[in-house]
Amino acid sequence: MVTKTKGMGELFKEVINKDLCTLCGACIGDCPYTVFYRGKIRMLDLCTREEGHCYGYCPRTRTDLDAINNKLFGVPFTGAEIGTVKDVFMARSRDAKVRSGAQYGGTVTSLLLLALESDLINAAITTNTDEDKLPEASVARSAAGVMAGAGSNYMAYPVLEALNRMPKDSKEKLGIVVTPCQAIALAKMRLDPPTQRASLDNIRLSVGLFCTWALAYDRFYEFLKNNVDLPKVRKFDIPPPPANRFDVYIGKEVKSFPLDEVRKYRMPTCAYCLDMTAEFTDISVGSVEGIEGWNTVIVRTQHGADIIAEAKKKGKLEIKDLPAQSLAHLKEASLIKKARAVQEIVKKTGDKNDLMYIDISHDLKEKLLGHKVGAQGGH
Amino acid sequence: MQYIDIDAPGSNQLFIGNEAMARGALEAGIGWASAYPGTPSSEILGSLAEVAKKRGIYVEWSVNEKVAIEAGAAASYAGIRSLVAMKMNGLNVVIDFLSTIVLSGIGKKGLVLMVGDDPAAHSSSNETDSRPVSKWLDIPLVEPGDFQEAKDMIPYLYDISEEFGTICILRSVTRVAHARGNIRLGEIPKVVHKARFEQYFDPAAPMPTPIMCVPSSFRHMFQHMRLDKIREKFETSTYNKYVGPEKPDLLIVTSGSGWLYSQDAVNALKAENRIGILKLGTLWPLPEKLVKSCLSKADKVLFIEETDPFLEGVIMEFAAGFSPESKRNLFYGNHTRHLNSFGELTPDAVIKAITGVLDIPYAPRDADYMKKVEAVPQQYVMDRLLTFCPGCPHRASFWAIKNALAMDGRHGFVTGDIGCYSMALGPAGFFQTRTHQCMGAGAGLANGFGQLHRFGFDQPVVSVVGDSTFYHSIIPGLVNGVHNHSDFTLVILDNGATAMTGFQPHPGTELTAMGEPAAQISMENICRAIGARVEVCDPFDLKSTTRTMLSMIEQKEGARVAIMRRTCELVRQKKEEKPYKMKIDPEKCLGEDCGCNRLCTRVFRCPGLIWDPVAGKTKIDEVICNECGVCADICPEGAITREAVA
Repeated sequence: MVTKTKGMGELFKEVINKDLCTLCGACIGDCPYTVFYRGKIRMLDLCTREEGHCYGYCPRTRTDLDAINNKLFGVPFTGAEIGTVKDVFMARSRDAKVRSGAQYGGTVTSLLLLALESDLINAAITTNTDEDKLPEASVARSAAGVMAGAGSNYMAYPVLEALNRMPKDSKEKLGIVVTPCQAIALAKMRLDPPTQRASLDNIRLSVGLFCTWALAYDRFYEFLKNNVDLPKVRKFDIPPPPANRFDVYIGKEVKSFPLDEVRKYRMPTCAYCLDMTAEFTDISVGSVEGIEGWNTVIVRTQHGADIIAEAKKKGKLEIKDLPAQSLAHLKEASLIKKARAVQEIVKKTGDKNDLMYIDISHDLKEKLLGHKVGAQGGH
Repeated sequence: MQYIDIDAPGSNQLFIGNEAMARGALEAGIGWASAYPGTPSSEILGSLAEVAKKRGIYVEWSVNEKVAIEAGAAASYAGIRSLVAMKMNGLNVVIDFLSTIVLSGIGKKGLVLMVGDDPAAHSSSNETDSRPVSKWLDIPLVEPGDFQEAKDMIPYLYDISEEFGTICILRSVTRVAHARGNIRLGEIPKVVHKARFEQYFDPAAPMPTPIMCVPSSFRHMFQHMRLDKIREKFETSTYNKYVGPEKPDLLIVTSGSGWLYSQDAVNALKAENRIGILKLGTLWPLPEKLVKSCLSKADKVLFIEETDPFLEGVIMEFAAGFSPESKRNLFYGNHTRHLNSFGELTPDAVIKAITGVLDIPYAPRDADYMKKVEAVPQQYVMDRLLTFCPGCPHRASFWAIKNALAMDGRHGFVTGDIGCYSMALGPAGFFQTRTHQCMGAGAGLANGFGQLHRFGFDQPVVSVVGDSTFYHSIIPGLVNGVHNHSDFTLVILDNGATAMTGFQPHPGTELTAMGEPAAQISMENICRAIGARVEVCDPFDLKSTTRTMLSMIEQKEGARVAIMRRTCELVRQKKEEKPYKMKIDPEKCLGEDCGCNRLCTRVFRCPGLIWDPVAGKTKIDEVICNECGVCADICPEGAITREAVA
């Protein structure tokens, strides 16, 4: 078992009211007591159950990483920098149209389009940007829908709500695009599947996005509103390191902000996150350090391997080896995120034996506590 | 149905106290009655309204008590006997006018104010005793001790009012106003009312004009002279009486409900030979000679009163001025803690007070008796929540308000007001109301909270009022809020009725008290004219009402108004069939499982929904469900469905 679960009162006390919520959405959508509104999970009424999925699935309540890793990959959690890996390479979509609307190489969009086309999935759950440039969950059942969802605005959004809202008797095969924290919640769901919701077996493909931190929806939106003409914004982009910028594409122009300025709007909870490369998914996708227009792709499961094989066969993706140096940098950055998270947690709890939600081996903990992390950076 | 104007002089009829007072008013030949509803006084005007047309009198539910009494005074000035009724809260509203009419005087015909007090505040936000106002403002006041007096005192009071040219007050309490007893009827005179406002500038005229309070000190002195004369009159009033031995061990001084309770207590103690009772009906001005002569009968004096120690105060004050040779009494009552000055009076309380003063053995029933008594009905009557009716629009309104405030997340809150929706202090309204005082107070408080942003206050403020309350006392608050840019949301729960007091009409409804077409005053037009943003929503549309509330709460500044409009369920069901047939699919009902945990029966708590602990499912209580359909929108699983009834 993951943990001894508690109820909604404790979820708010231990996580949400302490600003530790990641906005994964695992606690909303199928519960009448919680709701997402303007960047926050709100309690409408107190549920008095002593145990609730809301607490059990939360990525910030005690999480047995070994159990999760065993469940998903059949091996324990070792703390390897970029998680359990079947294959790693760089890729980009062969479709220029996909690439232009997407982040980096458009690999995620291409994979979702392929999955839909080949009937691996019937619907893709992703985070879109709505007319006001705010994130919103989208359940895309067509290529056009998937294309509309391409791109990121780097704001945290509780996309798992859309999964929780799927009708209980739904047989729709799903693809889902998640951040690392959302992937953890999803994995916790798989360990203790809900009986009152649509089957998790409906999820045929989970794609993880690399993430150093996400932006707090409410505060960052205020910043954007004050600094750019939002309705005209086409795309947001954080180019691969060492660019250190946040680019906003407005019409044909690009307005750049120093990444440090944007970083102020990080979700506080991201400081305590172990996972940069979305380790608990079928495939993880991110940027490639120093190379624009390409994605790093980490294949983790057979599902992931299958769809990549299909993509190769159908010529959807252009695939290259990831330069050794890029891989090394990715691993170091990922390890630093892990180490920094553990060190930040100990700073917060003041107790080396209290790692908040993280349940890892003693040796791994000591290793991470001892790792030099340097100045805060990332993305 | 029996009307209060039944033409059977000399016969005995079973009337509640309020009906008895209304009958008394008819026997006094009134031509005017105006009131604002309020428990326990509402039936006075209500029963007069039923016979108004037939009896050629004018009856009006006024917008508030102040207008009611001022309008009633006008009738007196034009030569029409006039009655005004209200509860004690209303008395507070009219104090300003009372303080001037005692100086200006009334017209040629009498003006009587009937005030219903609510000791223990069964249906009130306070239990103020009205009697001290008589001493404070120099107004003659009587208090009936039984139902017959409740009727008979009215013609008597009109005579006093006219003879001395002053307004008079009759104070009653819930147990007199609402209990039912035998009344021997008198005759209803045939009066042809002819109204005219005579404008004599001669100070010696019966009613010199202008009607005014200046010179105030002179008129104040004049009112005191009137009271002295009235005191003389009261000395011989048959509403004051002494019963008991010539030299009792104890003299009880009482009035109102205390009269019957005291007799019961003396009977129960079998102490008729030891205790005398002075029952006063005319309380102010105090009939001093009568009081003094009774005080001389006994050493010990016990005051039995509901609620305040009013007689206790004025009589002890009076006795303090006795000459040194006079008999000195030992006084007992509230000041010696033999009786409470709060809550209702009971025969038990009187017995306890008496046995505390006199050494009379009294064996009350054993301590278990009360428990046994309480246990009996529990076998047959189930626990019921103090809540809104099934199908009440308020429940839906507060659901939307609650959710909007929770979603907003800035710890917003509701300032409450007086009406059925006062129950939102508790589970009926999901504990949303944070303040509850008098009519209009919620809007006034919201005005204040809405200005505190300059001191760091950042919580949304929602003032929730009823439709009748809106007309009664909210409009000035809204004017003030808009004018001064106060930041709050006014929610008007417009159910088209003064529901709590018995569906009396108000300025927004179709008919007058006499059943004639009324000019309906549009509350949204008023609010818009004041300059507030106004949204009207149907509380049964939970989604859109919640959205409206959110947009109201999030508005940056200024007073704004959400009108949640839906007819009171009790009014609707008299006119229409049930709109839906509600069903619950037990397969879909999650019960206590994660994802629901009895949202409908644990949080929403409409009495039409019942929890079946054996099946672990919710059921519809078909007897009391009014099939409003709202719970179908609450159920997270879609287990509750509504089917439109063709």
